[in-house]
Parts: sequence; C-alpha cells; structure tokens
Amino acid sequence: MIEVRALAKSFAVPSQRGIVRKANDGNDAAATSTPRAGEDGRVHAVVDVHFDAPDGRITGLLGPNGAGKTTTLRMLAALIAPDAGTMRVDGIDVVARPRDVLARMGVLSDARGLYPRLTARENIVYYGELHGMGRDAAEARAVELARRFEMAPLLDRRAGGFSQGERMKTALCRALVHDPPNIVLDEPTNGLDVLATRALRDSLRWLRTPEGGAKCIVFSTHIMQEVERLCDGVVVVAHGRTVATGTVDELLAKTGQQDFEEAFVELAFAAERAAVGAPQ
Amino acid sequence: MRRSIAAAAIVLRKELRDALRDRRTLMTVLVSAVLMGPLVLLAISGLVASLEARAEQREVVVSGIAKAPTLRNYFERQTYVVKEAPPDFETQLRRSTLHDPVVVVPDDFEAALVRGDVPVVEIVSDSANQRAEASTARIERLLGGFSRERALLSLALRGVSAQLLEPMEIEDRDLASTQTRATRITGMLPFFVMMAVLYGALNAALDTTAGERERGSLEPLLMNPAERWALVAGKWGAVVCVSVLIAVLSCFSFLPGQWVLRSDTLQAMFQYGPREAGLFILLLLPLAAALAAVLMAVAIRSRTFKEAQASSMIIVLAVSLLPLVNVFDLGGEAPWHLWTPALAQNALMTRVLKGESLDVWQILIPLGVCAALTAVGVWSVARQLHQAAVK
Repeated sequence: MIEVRALAKSFAVPSQRGIVRKANDGNDAAATSTPRAGEDGRVHAVVDVHFDAPDGRITGLLGPNGAGKTTTLRMLAALIAPDAGTMRVDGIDVVARPRDVLARMGVLSDARGLYPRLTARENIVYYGELHGMGRDAAEARAVELARRFEMAPLLDRRAGGFSQGERMKTALCRALVHDPPNIVLDEPTNGLDVLATRALRDSLRWLRTPEGGAKCIVFSTHIMQEVERLCDGVVVVAHGRTVATGTVDELLAKTGQQDFEEAFVELAFAAERAAVGAPQ
Repeated sequence: MRRSIAAAAIVLRKELRDALRDRRTLMTVLVSAVLMGPLVLLAISGLVASLEARAEQREVVVSGIAKAPTLRNYFERQTYVVKEAPPDFETQLRRSTLHDPVVVVPDDFEAALVRGDVPVVEIVSDSANQRAEASTARIERLLGGFSRERALLSLALRGVSAQLLEPMEIEDRDLASTQTRATRITGMLPFFVMMAVLYGALNAALDTTAGERERGSLEPLLMNPAERWALVAGKWGAVVCVSVLIAVLSCFSFLPGQWVLRSDTLQAMFQYGPREAGLFILLLLPLAAALAAVLMAVAIRSRTFKEAQASSMIIVLAVSLLPLVNVFDLGGEAPWHLWTPALAQNALMTRVLKGESLDVWQILIPLGVCAALTAVGVWSVARQLHQAAVK
C-alpha cells in the first residue's frame, strides 16, 4: 500500500549555463522535455503529485516525458528528499524511516545497471544479502525468480554479454529478491521487444494475484497501450501535477472520448495550458 | 550497527570479486607495477656488472703502440694487456660498439721522449658512450703513473729525493656505509613500490565509484536498506585490499629479483630481505588507505570512468612527483617531508634500505596524516553518494 500526498520537489538550475543539465539518457531528476524554470530560477519537477496505490492492484503513473514521474519515484525510493508532501509505504513514512520503507519495497529504477563481471545469480544474490537475507535463502530465491521469469539458463552467465531484455529481467529479479510487498517500476518496458514486454506484463499480472503475493505495484510509463492492458488504476501526471486519477474507463467517461490516447492528450494538454498559466 | 558491519562486509566481498575478475586491468597493473621494478633492477645490475668486469679486465686499447715500446713496456709491467685499436675506432666509439677509450700515441713518441720534449698522448672517448667513459679515469691514472715513473727516474738520476715531487699524500675516506652507497642505485625501489600501490588503488577506486555511476548501478544500489557509510566502507575496504595486494606482490617481487643480481658488489650492497619487505608493507598500508579514499572522493564526482581518470591525474602526478624531492635531495630531509604523504613514505623506505632505524614520530606522523586523509575521503564519498546517484 503506497500513499502519496501533495508531493513537491524543485531543483536549482545551473543558471550561468542557461540550460537544464540532462543525464546521459535524458531522464535526469530535473530533466524535462520543456524545462520549466520558474520565476525563482528553479525547475519545479514535481509540484503536486498525489495518489493511492492499494495492495493487489497495478497502478500506472502515466505522463509525458518530463512530467515528473521519475522524480516522484526517486523520492518514493528515498533517493532524494521532497520539498513538501508526505509519502507512506504500508503506513511507514518514507522521509522519517527510509530504510524500513526500502526493506518493504522493490524498486526497478530508471537506471538498472548490472555488474557486468558478475553472473546474473551473483547480481541477484548480492542485493538479497544487502537486504539482510542469508546467502542460501538469497540463492534459493534467485533460482525461484529465474524460473518465474524464464531466465534460468542465464543465471550462471556473466551479465556483461546480456541483451537488453535479459538485463531487464535480471534487474527485475534483483529488485524482487527480498519478496517485497510493494513494487515500484520506472518505465520497465523501455528498450524491450514485444516478447519481453509481454513476458513482463504476464509477470506483473501474476504478482498482483493472491498466489503471486497480492503485491502493490506502481509503474510509470508514457505508453498508452501498457496502461490500457495492465493497469487497474491510472494516475495521469503532467507538469509535476496529478491531473486525473481513475480506471481507464473512468478516464474515458470523464473526457467523453472513445480512444484512451485522445483522453490522455486532453487531460495532459489541459494541464499544460494550466501550467503555462495565462492564455496567449 | 551489526547489520551495517555485515552490509559493509557484503559490499567488500562483492567489490573484491568484481575487481579480481577484471583480469585485463589486473594483468596490466601486475606487469607495469610488479614486474617493472625487478626488471629495471636487473638491467642496472647488468650494467654495473659489465662496468665492474671492464674495470677488472686490465686491458688498454692503443692506436700506434708499435711506435712506443717504452709505453708498452710500462703497460705490461702493470700487468695490462695491450690491444691495438681498430682503424675505425672513432666511428666505433661513437656508435658505442667499442667499449674502451683509445690511447692515441703520436708517431714521434719515442724520439720526443728521448729528447726531453713533451709528446701529446690523446685519450679518445665519447661522453655519450657510457662504458668507454667509465674506463677513461682508469686509463688516465695508468698514463699518469707512466709520467710519474719517468719523472721520478729523471729526478733520481740527478740525486733528488722522490718525496720532493709529492710533498703530501692524499687518501680517500668514504663515510657512507655499504648500504648507504647502495641506495644510490637501489633508491628507485621505494618509488616503484609506491607506484604499485597507486596503480593498484587507481582502477579499483575509479571502478567502484565513477564506474558504478556510468553503469547506472549506483542508483539501484542505494535503494537497498543499507547505511550509506556501510556501502562506502565496504567499497573503500575492497580498494585498499586490491592496492595492498599489488603492493605486497611488488615488495616481494624484489626478493627473487635480488637473487639474480649479476653484480657481486651490488648484491653485497643491496640489503633487501623479508624484513625490509615487511617494513615496506607496514609503511605503505596507511598510504594505500589514504590513496583509496582520496581517489574515490575525486572519482565519485565524475559521471564517467574517463572523466574520473582525467580528474585523478592530479593525484597520480603528485604521488609520482613528490618522491623526486628526495631524489634531487632538495635541501636534504626537512621536517615537512614527514607531513607529506608519498614523500614521507618514500623517505622512510629509503631509510629502511639504508639500514637506519625509524623513531616513533617518523611512524606516527605519516600514519596520522594518512588516517586524517582517509577519514576525509570516506566522509566525502558518503556525503556525495546520493547526489551522485541521481545526477
């Protein structure tokens, strides 16, 4: 169970350069497709994000590039401190007790680098041990997850030669090694081919079921189809704000559209006009 | 606390495994840092041995000896073997294919000697030809002996005492012990060992910080419920272990290197046994710890391995150049040397080689400086870690 209320975060802009610094893949904490440096000279990456993600459901965080999804998830993972707002995971405050929260959460972040000289098994077991698991327990869990994600033959190969999909699967196993009740995924299908995307979708659906542990799953994306096919609830984020929440059907009804993409554009575009502030 | 120590141990074990699997880098470091020292030692010993052999050879190369039977007689009485110089001796000397200076006797040598004129005998050498140059002084002494003998004989014939010619005697007394003399040659040893420590730490430190950022594995790592300082301590410990491992290999590589020393004199002078190697390692431990921490602190601020290599260059340069203060003997040993990392270790290792004892302060001051640097470095990495992960 994840609850986020009135979350806000701004970043200082290195003003002398006159540009917003972007990370190597363009998904910087402060990276936005349209930098919104305010009058105070700061980039307001997240202004007011709020959502509830209940257990046993998949909640999609949908928004265009630079909407503040990655920043929100990074704050949820206690990687950066919010300026305002509260985040609770299973009732535990993220800012006050970050390590307790991390112990109850598996995060597949935007950066999902593996150690190329270690095997998939070693990569997974390393995180298991850091989560306080015994070596044997972590090994057993790695084997179990590998079977689940159909990557058993990969386990003893070094991660250096993995394909994008293989890397993603390994990173996902690594994030789930401690069997967390809450799972947070940042654009997990980035760079995956159709088959790998389908496999991931199946895995997430299974994790949502009581047999899979009835996990609370939050995942961010900018791809409509994924949301339509997978999510029980959608949170539309644009320009750092939650602009709409509901199921896909509810959002369609709200906008009076037949096509979810149209509905999304309307919701996000309205937000954009609001963000610009004044009519042109 | 116990959990954090356990986490640090897990990180240490993983980083060590990771570093030791980086075979190519390890091999490069091993070849450059561990083998280079003994190889240079071997080369120097070869040169010294050949100089010694030449000095003992008692050969003199003369051009035109047929025209100077008196000189030949003198050379032979000094048990020297006289060799006729090849006709193209000048070219050969220039090309360093002839390893002896050549004495050139003028055509009218004998006649001039009899007349009481002063014939000019040339010693031809090339200052770029080290081996020939090394023998020049010996040949000069030999010819000087001939001149003195002639002079003494002439004076004796006139009834003058030989002592008038030499109103005083000159004797050499060298204060340096055998070991001190040896450090002129073995003085580069501490330098090689320190380079081993530096290069051992360099790659591991960069890989575990900037490399982790570049791979995008730092952000997921920080999403584990382990304390930041535990992560940093584990990483730092692994870098120190790799660095010390290379240092130990380097220190002990000079032991077999010593057995194959070709020069007997050098072997007698070169006092480097397991005790010295052990002392070296003890002196290098704090330096390895400090270098690991400082390199990590510099590298964590770089986004890529390449960027980190560029920024760590200043540390590499400092550690390589500081010992030169000792080599050039700029103002002798000053108190501030002990307060400067790398320079202090170099000075102390040189003392060990000279067979001099170390007092408590000489050990405590560099230890304290390195401990402070380590603390600052580790603290700085821990502070920077979260910021580095998201930038």
